[in-house]
Amino acid sequence: MASTVIGAGITIEGEVTSDEDVVVQGTLRGKLIAKDAVSVEQGGSVEADITGGPVSVAGTVTGNITSSDRVDLQNGAKVIGNVKAARITIADGAQFKGNVDMDV
Amino acid sequence: MKDSTVIGRTSVVTGRITGTGDLEIAGRVEGDVAVSGEVVIDSTGMVGANVSATRIVVRGAVRGDLTAEEALVVESGARIVGDLKAPRIAIAQGGLVRGYVRTGGMAAAPRPRAAAAAARTTVPEAKARPAAPPPQPQRAVKAAPPAPPAPVQKAPPPAQKAETNHKPAPRGAAAAGARVGPPPPVVPVLKKGTKAVQKKR
Amino acid sequence: MARTRTGGGGEAVIGRSTRIRGRVSGDGDLRLEGSLEGDVALSGELVIAEGARAISNVEARAVTVGGELEGDIRAQGLVHLEAGARVRGDIHSESVAIDEGAEFDGRLSGPDFELPPELGGGARRRS
Repeated sequence: MASTVIGAGITIEGEVTSDEDVVVQGTLRGKLIAKDAVSVEQGGSVEADITGGPVSVAGTVTGNITSSDRVDLQNGAKVIGNVKAARITIADGAQFKGNVDMDV
Repeated sequence: MKDSTVIGRTSVVTGRITGTGDLEIAGRVEGDVAVSGEVVIDSTGMVGANVSATRIVVRGAVRGDLTAEEALVVESGARIVGDLKAPRIAIAQGGLVRGYVRTGGMAAAPRPRAAAAAARTTVPEAKARPAAPPPQPQRAVKAAPPAPPAPVQKAPPPAQKAETNHKPAPRGAAAAGARVGPPPPVVPVLKKGTKAVQKKR
Repeated sequence: MARTRTGGGGEAVIGRSTRIRGRVSGDGDLRLEGSLEGDVALSGELVIAEGARAISNVEARAVTVGGELEGDIRAQGLVHLEAGARVRGDIHSESVAIDEGAEFDGRLSGPDFELPPELGGGARRRS
């Protein structure tokens, strides 16, 4: 499926919504709502609440993450915000500060 | 490709996009775009704000001004309502544009957006006059130094077939001096009352 | 006023060394290779060849510009600015094609077209 990629040199200030995957390599300030997977790659910076399907973070996120599936924080990730998902993994080396709500 | 951004077909960005790198818009963007790379607005792309980039290719719809540092290409199927500005502009047949277009290669003198635009030339001075600031040598125009305001100029053409006087006035006037126009006419200035004689070939 | 007479398939030509001052009108096509100061009203096609210069408001079925034109164009069909064209004036026609390399300073307007509803539909300028 086609995806939306926010490249490394790009900054988006505002709201991004999508029915497809979203990959963030650059900077996003505002809000991100995706129906499918969200990936914040290394170097990517999101200052926004993220709502999506599976969310994978290897970059920086300052905001709350709400996933309908799973949230994976990779080595190198830095997340400050609350995470709400049915499943979550925090890899060794990932930094995280916030609440986790697995809504069991 | 590194540093390439794609706004997917189902994505909507309500906010500004800035930065470096290329940008492909297949979805919708409702905020200004200012990047230092190439922006391609796909046929499914819709942009509701201004775009400024090094190079812009439009295949979709835009309501906003497009400014490119190098080139702007409007392909067939594109629909644009807004001004286009770039040193090189190409509009393919089938590309729909409504707005001002400037490549900037011409003299910069702003033209009077005279009422005469789309002037039905048939209407003599009367109409053109008001538009042109200097009622004067409308036509002299081109040759930077205003051509001698020949008497003919002013002469309202009293049923004068020999129209040595004519239109594309306002525009011309405004550009006077700013633009190198055709060389001064070789035809000598005619005296008022002169009738034209059509040379039979 | 200069009248062109083409009757029967001939294309009228204003040669390279010819300069005209006056309104030009006629049926049929006209090819300008020289210089013209005066409006043009043709039922056919106007071609302003490379090297030609016109200061004219033009009304024709179709217009091709390879040279210089200062004036507005109103055409029923296609207005085509070739790569070497230098045009200053507004163009109102059914369709327009501007080749890369052409210099143009003016407004384009033509048949109404609509933008997608997401962008507001009508083609009127927003601001």
